[in-house]
Amino acid sequence: MKLDLAKYRTLFLEEGSEHLAELSRALLELEKDAGSPEAIDAAFRMAHSIKGMAASLGYESIAEVAHRFEDRMARYRAAGRVDSAGVGVLFQGLDGLERMLGCVRETGEAPAAEARLTAALAASDAAAVPEVQPEKKVLRS
Amino acid sequence: MSRRVLVADDAAFMRQMIREIIEPEGFEVVGEATDGLEVVETYQKLHPDLVMLDIVMPKCSGIDALKRILAADRSACIVMCSALGQESLVQEALQAGARGFIVKPFKPDAVVATLRKVVEKRDA
Repeated sequence: MKLDLAKYRTLFLEEGSEHLAELSRALLELEKDAGSPEAIDAAFRMAHSIKGMAASLGYESIAEVAHRFEDRMARYRAAGRVDSAGVGVLFQGLDGLERMLGCVRETGEAPAAEARLTAALAASDAAAVPEVQPEKKVLRS
Repeated sequence: MSRRVLVADDAAFMRQMIREIIEPEGFEVVGEATDGLEVVETYQKLHPDLVMLDIVMPKCSGIDALKRILAADRSACIVMCSALGQESLVQEALQAGARGFIVKPFKPDAVVATLRKVVEKRDA
């Protein structure tokens, strides 16, 4: 069976824009409270949802950026917090996704993913890794 | 006779797509839920033949919603909707009692085949 993809493109642009607005609210909250579990969870879910919609329409580049964003949020969720540098990268990701949806709105096509953006989202940072206390060693003289 | 289905996904896009895929194939979407708590409540009201339940949901995760529905009705027939990279969550859902799973992005024929297989197995 064939789905009417033009109809779903319109739905994607409407719902995707709402998701990006909620993502923006979550990131603003994380700027104030880097450990807000609600904001971390909301950002994770919005990225996950955008990924699913984009993949359903064959917008692989948008799905890839959203996937990197989602993965990053999953790491922050495990760590329980985001650091200030991390929030900056997330805002870059949000800006990138907004640009990509804007391109779909104007041309009907998704642009290529920006390599610099996907690399920044994929890069690990200190906040994404739970702190591990070094083992205490007894030195013998 | 059409099978009554409850669809739970926080994205209207996905709920619409599922409806469009399954309704011409003998399934009737009798209810929709947009979060994990709503699907548990709606299940209690509608007692559908099948639930299509997204793993990532607000308020209560799909896995927790699955467990709550099954705690109240062991015979509930639930198919999880997942994305690539969620294999461990799918395993957890199957161990908790989900009857099957489908992976996003949806392939219409695969979605219908999975639902039919799950229903046939339950009816056997």
